[in-house]
Amino acid sequence: MHPIRKKLGKIPLFKILSSLKITVICLGLLYLLTFWGTIDQMNNGLYLAQEKFFNSIFFMLFDFIPFPGARSILWVLFVNLICVATTRLVYRWSNIGITIIHLGLILFLVSAFLTFHGIEETNITLRENEGTNVSKSYHQWELSVWEDRSGDTKSVLAHDTAHIHPGDIFNFDQYGFKVKTKIYHQNSEAYVTDQGDTGIVNDSGIRSIVPVDISIEPEENYPAGIFEIQDNSKNRELLLYGGEIQPTRVEINQKVYAFQLRRRRSPIPFILKLIDFKKELHPNTEVAKSYQSLVEVITPDSTREVLISMNEPLRYKSFTFYQASYAIDEFGRELSTLAVVHNPSRVMPYVASLATFAGLLIHMLLMGFRPRKKI
Amino acid sequence: MKKRILLNIFAGMFIAVHLSWAQPIGMLPQSGEAKEVSSLASLAKIPILDQGRVKPLDTYAENVLLQFSGRRSLNKKPAIQWFARLLFAPEKTQDDQIFLINSPEIPMALGVEPNKKRHYSYSQLEPGFEKLAQLAEAAKRIEEKQRAIVEKEVIRAHQNVRLYIQLTNALSFAFVHKDFQITDMEIINLLKLEKGRSLYSYLDIIRRADMLYDVTKPLETKDQSAWTQQDRETFRLVTNVFHWTSFYANSTFTIIPDTRPEGEWLSPWRAIISELQNPFVQEEVHLLQQLAAYYWDGKQLEFNFSAKALEQSVYQRLNVQQKKSADRIPIELIYNQTKPFLWAKLFYGFAFLVFLFSLLLKKSFTKNIAFVFIILGVIPHVFALMARIVILARPPVSNLYETFIFVGLITVIFGLVIEKFNKRWLGILVSSVGGFSFLMIAGKYAAEGDTLQMLVAVLNSNFWLSTHVISITIGYAGCCVTGIIGHLYLIQSVIRPNDKQLLQLTYNALFSALIFGLMMAFLGTMLGGIWADQSWGRFWGWDPKENGALMIVLWCALILHAKISRWIGPLGLAVGAVWGMITVMWAWLGVNLLSIGLHSYGFTSGIALTLLIYFFCEISFLAVVYPLAKKRQK
Repeated sequence: MHPIRKKLGKIPLFKILSSLKITVICLGLLYLLTFWGTIDQMNNGLYLAQEKFFNSIFFMLFDFIPFPGARSILWVLFVNLICVATTRLVYRWSNIGITIIHLGLILFLVSAFLTFHGIEETNITLRENEGTNVSKSYHQWELSVWEDRSGDTKSVLAHDTAHIHPGDIFNFDQYGFKVKTKIYHQNSEAYVTDQGDTGIVNDSGIRSIVPVDISIEPEENYPAGIFEIQDNSKNRELLLYGGEIQPTRVEINQKVYAFQLRRRRSPIPFILKLIDFKKELHPNTEVAKSYQSLVEVITPDSTREVLISMNEPLRYKSFTFYQASYAIDEFGRELSTLAVVHNPSRVMPYVASLATFAGLLIHMLLMGFRPRKKI
Repeated sequence: MKKRILLNIFAGMFIAVHLSWAQPIGMLPQSGEAKEVSSLASLAKIPILDQGRVKPLDTYAENVLLQFSGRRSLNKKPAIQWFARLLFAPEKTQDDQIFLINSPEIPMALGVEPNKKRHYSYSQLEPGFEKLAQLAEAAKRIEEKQRAIVEKEVIRAHQNVRLYIQLTNALSFAFVHKDFQITDMEIINLLKLEKGRSLYSYLDIIRRADMLYDVTKPLETKDQSAWTQQDRETFRLVTNVFHWTSFYANSTFTIIPDTRPEGEWLSPWRAIISELQNPFVQEEVHLLQQLAAYYWDGKQLEFNFSAKALEQSVYQRLNVQQKKSADRIPIELIYNQTKPFLWAKLFYGFAFLVFLFSLLLKKSFTKNIAFVFIILGVIPHVFALMARIVILARPPVSNLYETFIFVGLITVIFGLVIEKFNKRWLGILVSSVGGFSFLMIAGKYAAEGDTLQMLVAVLNSNFWLSTHVISITIGYAGCCVTGIIGHLYLIQSVIRPNDKQLLQLTYNALFSALIFGLMMAFLGTMLGGIWADQSWGRFWGWDPKENGALMIVLWCALILHAKISRWIGPLGLAVGAVWGMITVMWAWLGVNLLSIGLHSYGFTSGIALTLLIYFFCEISFLAVVYPLAKKRQK
C-alpha cells in the first residue's frame, strides 16, 4: 500500500469514515427507508413519499424525532466509499473485481447527484398537425407576461413561482413595471361569486380564491394569487388562477399586457410537429399493442420525420422525447402527449451499472478459482 | 344489402316485443339424444381468436372450463369434449356441475343448497339467474378496490353464467327452431326452402333474406286488417329473424376471420349479420352447420372432413402474423395434451420423497435415483418453457405465472450445479424443494385463466424481456436458492452441530449463491433502470416494483458487508439469507398487492393472507431455530 494511503488510514477520522460498520448501517437504513417509502406511497402518493423519504436530508418521525432521509444517507455512503477507496481497498489484480464494483458505485452516486440536480422533466401535448418549440412542466408554475399584440411571434417574460411568498416583487423592467405578490396559494379553488366591486382585475370573472390542501398528485395542484402591478402611474390588483385558459389583459403605459399563471414552459431546441398518432390494439381486445406518434423535427437546417413509440423514444442532444399518453378531445381529435426529459448526465448510470456488474462478475469468477476459506 | 333493409324496416315495428322467449336451451336440431363423435382431434385444431391471440379451440375450451370451474378437465375427460357438447348439444351440459362459486352465500341467495364441492350446474343456477344479475349489478356499483370477496364472486359467477348462455347459442343459427316453423307451403315454395319439413333454422331463413324481403314488401302498404294467414306467417317469420339477429349479434365465439386489415375476427352470428355476402364466410358458416349436424348424428369421418375444411378455409384468410400463430397450433396442442408442468412437479416431488427415504435407508444409490428424478423433471420443464417461447414468439417471462415457472427451472439447475460440488444432498434438496414449490405456486396462478397472454404496449419489447426480466428473475432465483440453503444451514446447525465438514460445504454453497443472487439482482435492477429510461424517461423513479428490486440488492450487500466486517458469523449470514428470501417475496409479490406505481400490468390481489402467513412462518422458524442453533454451536 502506498505510504500516503497508510498514513491516511491511521488518521482516526478516516478510520471511522471508512468503517464497514458505517456501510452496513447505511445499507440497513436505506433498506428500511425504501420499504417505508414504498408503503407510504399508498396513502400519500409517489411524489410526496419521494420528497419525504428519498429527496430529503431528514424528516420528522411522529412530528418531533428527526430521521435521516435517503439523501443524507447516500452522502454518508459516498464519503464512506471514498474513504474506503482511499485507505482500505487493496489495489491488486486478485482484488480487481472488488475494486471495479466500488469505483462503479462511486460513479453511481455521482450520477445520482448530477441527475437529481440536472434533470428537467416536462411534457408536450399536441393535436395532429400542431407543432411547438416549448414543453410544459408537470407541476411547476410561472408568472408569465407578454405584450398582447398581433403577429406570429410573442416574447414572454416569466418568473418561477416555486418559492414565491407574499411580499416578493418580480421585476419586469423590459416592460417598465413591477409585480408584487400579495397572496399566493400553492393549491387553490377559484370562485366567480359576485362580491361587489373589489377592484381586482381578472378577465375570467374570478372574484375570490380559497386555499385548499396540497394534493398528493402534484399535477392536480392549481395555484392562485393576487398580485399588485406597480407602474409609474397607478397600482392595480390582479387575480390569477392556474386553471384559467385565457390570460388576463391589463393596459399599462398605453400598451396591453397579458398576465397568466401557467405551467412552466421550457424551450426545446427545435420545432416538434405531430403528423399522426396511432393506437394499435391486439385484435378483438381493448389491450393496447402499441402507441405511436409520427412527428416532424424542424430545425433551421433540416426537417425530418421520426416515429416515436413505446420503448423507442426520439433522442436529440441531451433531450429525449417519449410516448407517454394520449387522449381524444371533445371534437374526436386525437392528442398525443410526449414526455420530454432533458438530462445531460443520462449516460452516467449506464456506465456505472455496467462497471459495477462487470466488477461483480469478475469477483465471482475469481472466487470460483480461489480456495475456500474456512468459516 | 336487402337483408339489412329488411331488418331496418321491421326494427321500428317490433321493438316493444318482449325478449324472454330467447332461452338458450332447447334449440336443438331435432328431438332425441345427440350421438356425438368419438374423436374431437380435428375440432381441437381449429383456430380461434381469443384475448388477441390465435389459438387452437382446444386451448380455448380449456380456458373457458378453467374460468368456470377452476379445472382443466371435467370428469377426467378433456375440456374439448365438454366444449363440443356445449356448442353442438348444449342441452347435455345443463347438469354438468361446472360453475365454481366459493362463497356459499351466493347459491343460498339464489335458492340453491350450497354443496361442499362448491360447484353448481346451469340447471341449478338458471332459476335464480335474474337475481344473480341484480346482485352483480349491485356489486359493480361498488368501487373495485372496495369490493369484498363475495361481491367479486357474484360478478364472476354472473359473467360465467352469461358466457355459458352465449356459448350455448354460438351455433344456434344452425339449429332448427319453432320460431322458424312454416306451415304454409306457398311460403316454403316462395322462399325455395327444402320441402318435406316445416321446421327450419335461422340460417335457412336469413340466407333467403332477399326473397323474404320481396314477399314482405307489400305488407308495408297493406292494411293490417286485410292481412291473410300467409301474410301473418311471413310477418312472424320476419319478426323472429329480427329478434334473433338483435339478440345474438354480440356473441363472443370469434372463430371467423374478418376481411378488414385490423386482423379482427367475428363470431358466426356477427359474420352472418354483416358479412354473409362474402363466399368464405358463407362456406365457413356452412361448415359450422355441418359440424353440428355430423356431431349430432355421430358421423366421425364427415365431422373430421368438415373440421379440416373449416381449418383450411380460416387459415388461408389470415394475415401473415396470424398465419405464423396458426402454424404453431400443433406445438400448442402437444403442450396442452402432455401437461409437462404436472410431470415436472411429480418428478421433483418424487426426488424429495427419495431424499426422505434415504434418511432411513442411508444407501448411496438413493441419491442416484433422486438425481434421475430431478433430470426427469427438468426434461418436461424445459420442453414446456421452450414450447411457450415458440408459441408466443417471445422470451419466456412476461407475466407473474411465467416468473414462477422460470424461477422454478433456474432453482433446479442451480441445485444441480451445487450438487456437483457439494455431493451431500444439498443440491438435490434445493432442486426438488425449489422446483416443486415454485411449480405449485405457478399452478395457483394458472387457475386464473390463459397463461399464454398477449403483452401490453410497454412490455412489447423482446429485447428488454430477454434482458431485464430474465436477469431479475434469475436474481430472484439466486436469492431464493440462498434462502433455501440458509434454512438448511440453520437446520444442520441444530441437528449436526459437530459435522463441521457438512456445515462448511453448506456455508460455501450459501456464500456462492448469495454472490450470484446479488450479481443477477443487481444486473436485473439496473437493466430495469435502463429500460425505464428508454420507456418512461427516467432511470430511477422510486416506483414500488423498482424499490422491491433495490431492497433485494441492498439486503444482499448488507449481509455480505456485515459478514466481512465480522458483525455476523455464518449463522447470522444464514438468518440473513432467510430474510433475503422474505425480501424477494415482498419484491416479487408483495409490491404487486399495493396496486400503485407504473408497473400496473403486474398488479395482483387475493394473496395478501397467504403472503402474511408465509412471513409469519419464516419469522417463527427463525425465532425457534436460530437460538437453538446458537446454543448448539456453543
